[in-house]
Amino acid sequence: MDILTFMQQMVNGFSLGSMYALIAIGYTMVYGVLRLINFAHGDIMMVGAFLAYTFMAVFNLPFPLTVLLAVTLSAALGMLMDKIAYKPLREAPKISLLITAIGISFFLENAFTVFVGGVPRAFPVPSYMEQIFTVANVTFSVSSITVPLVTLILLLGILYVLYKTKYGMAIRALSFDIKTVNLMGIDANMIISLVFALGSALAAVGGIFWAVNYPSVEPMMGVLVGLKAFAAAVVGGIGSVTGAVLGGFIIGFTEVVVIAFFPEMGGYKDAFAFVFLILVLLFKPTGIMGEDLEKSRF
Amino acid sequence: MSKKILGLSVATLLSCSSLLSAKEIKIGAVMPMSGPLAAYGQVTDLGVKLAHKLQPKLKNGDTIKIVLLDNKGDKVETANATTRLISSDKVVAILGALTSSNTAQTIAIADKKEIPVIAAVATGDKLTAKREFANRVCFSNAFQGEVVANYAISKGYKTAVVVVDQAQVYSLGLAKAFQKKFKSKGGKILKKIKITSGDKDFKAVVSQIKQINPDFMFLPLYHPEASMIARQSKQLGLDKPMFSGDGVANQTFIDLGGNAVEGYMFTDFFDYSNPPSKTSADFVAFHTKETGEKEMNSFTALGADTYNVLIAAMNRCEDPTNSICINKEIKKTTNFDGVSGKITIDKDGNATRSAVIKEIKNGKAVFKAIVNP
Repeated sequence: MDILTFMQQMVNGFSLGSMYALIAIGYTMVYGVLRLINFAHGDIMMVGAFLAYTFMAVFNLPFPLTVLLAVTLSAALGMLMDKIAYKPLREAPKISLLITAIGISFFLENAFTVFVGGVPRAFPVPSYMEQIFTVANVTFSVSSITVPLVTLILLLGILYVLYKTKYGMAIRALSFDIKTVNLMGIDANMIISLVFALGSALAAVGGIFWAVNYPSVEPMMGVLVGLKAFAAAVVGGIGSVTGAVLGGFIIGFTEVVVIAFFPEMGGYKDAFAFVFLILVLLFKPTGIMGEDLEKSRF
Repeated sequence: MSKKILGLSVATLLSCSSLLSAKEIKIGAVMPMSGPLAAYGQVTDLGVKLAHKLQPKLKNGDTIKIVLLDNKGDKVETANATTRLISSDKVVAILGALTSSNTAQTIAIADKKEIPVIAAVATGDKLTAKREFANRVCFSNAFQGEVVANYAISKGYKTAVVVVDQAQVYSLGLAKAFQKKFKSKGGKILKKIKITSGDKDFKAVVSQIKQINPDFMFLPLYHPEASMIARQSKQLGLDKPMFSGDGVANQTFIDLGGNAVEGYMFTDFFDYSNPPSKTSADFVAFHTKETGEKEMNSFTALGADTYNVLIAAMNRCEDPTNSICINKEIKKTTNFDGVSGKITIDKDGNATRSAVIKEIKNGKAVFKAIVNP
């Protein structure tokens, strides 16, 4: 493989990996505070993409406003989901929460199938996002640059919130012990809501980017992406935000590299992504950035 | 005693009347009229209905009645409908049931009861294998693959990359047929890249193809994946002729692909704007008269042909209700002047027929060429 193709594949890997990263952050944060793998998270991404689709295709709103509305509404949906499905189960065994999460996931997928049908719809990508430029024979589209950029900015934003603000301190405290935090005069439920809102907002951003890069939206689009983002979160070290981003890039690059080096095996790229997951679980169960589960969070 | 006499006389009357006047013969049809495949089922059924309207009677004066059952696109419903048609409606033949997997259900049941089936659009390669009573008027996937290979060679393309969906039998069958023919005619397959349906990101695949730099790309995929590959190819500056089978022969493909699918080519069965014969042109005109629509779906043409082939076979039988004779005659169909073109059905029940090549221009699939086998 020549250097140009290699560079091209790196660009591809970056753009794909950052979308996984955006969604993985939500998994990792919810897991951090509730020890819950929120399997409905991938479907929040789908809802975000569909909201953006509706605002653009039906109401003809400009793209930036669309993103803002879709992200806000998805954050609200995340909070609502917590309120309806997870809050009543705070004291219940973790397995009940997990089953509820899977239930919510099926509910969202099927509700959307009923309302919008299973046929994929074309996402109206704004033309400036599709613009292409070539640097030394490596082709970029605007979106393949903006996606990793936005991911990094959002990562820094999340880290800022976690480490520099009062709310961040509350979130980190919550991840150690919910009951004690309640005694300290912090409204734990409010903080958990905040975590869901942040995670869902990022998932919506991921979903919109997904729809911009691969311009079709359909109710099942979040399933596989969600699973891979989950794998990314575990590979990076579930509970660690930086780890989630790193894991996202690792999974993205794995997929790209498999195709670049073994085109015949390309159909198994998903399997390769999950092989990574298994290897990490075997040799470093806490993930790359994850430290001792009892000591550190985020 | 009197009852017996009455019964006898009624029986005599009935048998006499059947000799004198024409009787009614029932034909079964199983199609998805509701559910996810309803759009396919309804246009195919329209073809059957129009053909029946044009030719409601056999040569000997017997009238044909079509019993249509909705399988909702579901395998179990298909099996139930088929059983009902055979056991309670006593049909002499069955038309349907569209997709290959549903048609396989119908064939499995009908074959045991020795009732002939004619499929309109089921292209699965092995569908008719080892089934005495299975027939179809569409080509099989293997043939589609060969058509594309022949086209590529005729255009002077020497090297090709094949992107195959390893999760779809349709895709694997098409790819295999293409490769075999392309190689036998001197072409070279530079690479076969496997994908899985449901994937959205093909940038790595596209970058890979760009590096391999083939003359021609064969993408035996369904529309969701094919449209994404076309789009991302455009994004990454890969500009090679792309070709698919009938899996992309629908409007959704063009909607999803946007202007990236301009120039994209695919094989289809029929094109209403280019009817291959007078029969065909007349039918298109009749379709316009009956429905008010100018455009006619290729599935409508094939639906009409299942009916027409069946009626022709029945006309050749001394007893048009004899299913075994009907089946034999269907398999003797040669150079049949069908709505969708000339159809020849071999002893395995497979059709040899022409294919149509279409190209997407200005967001519309337009006719490019007819390819004869």
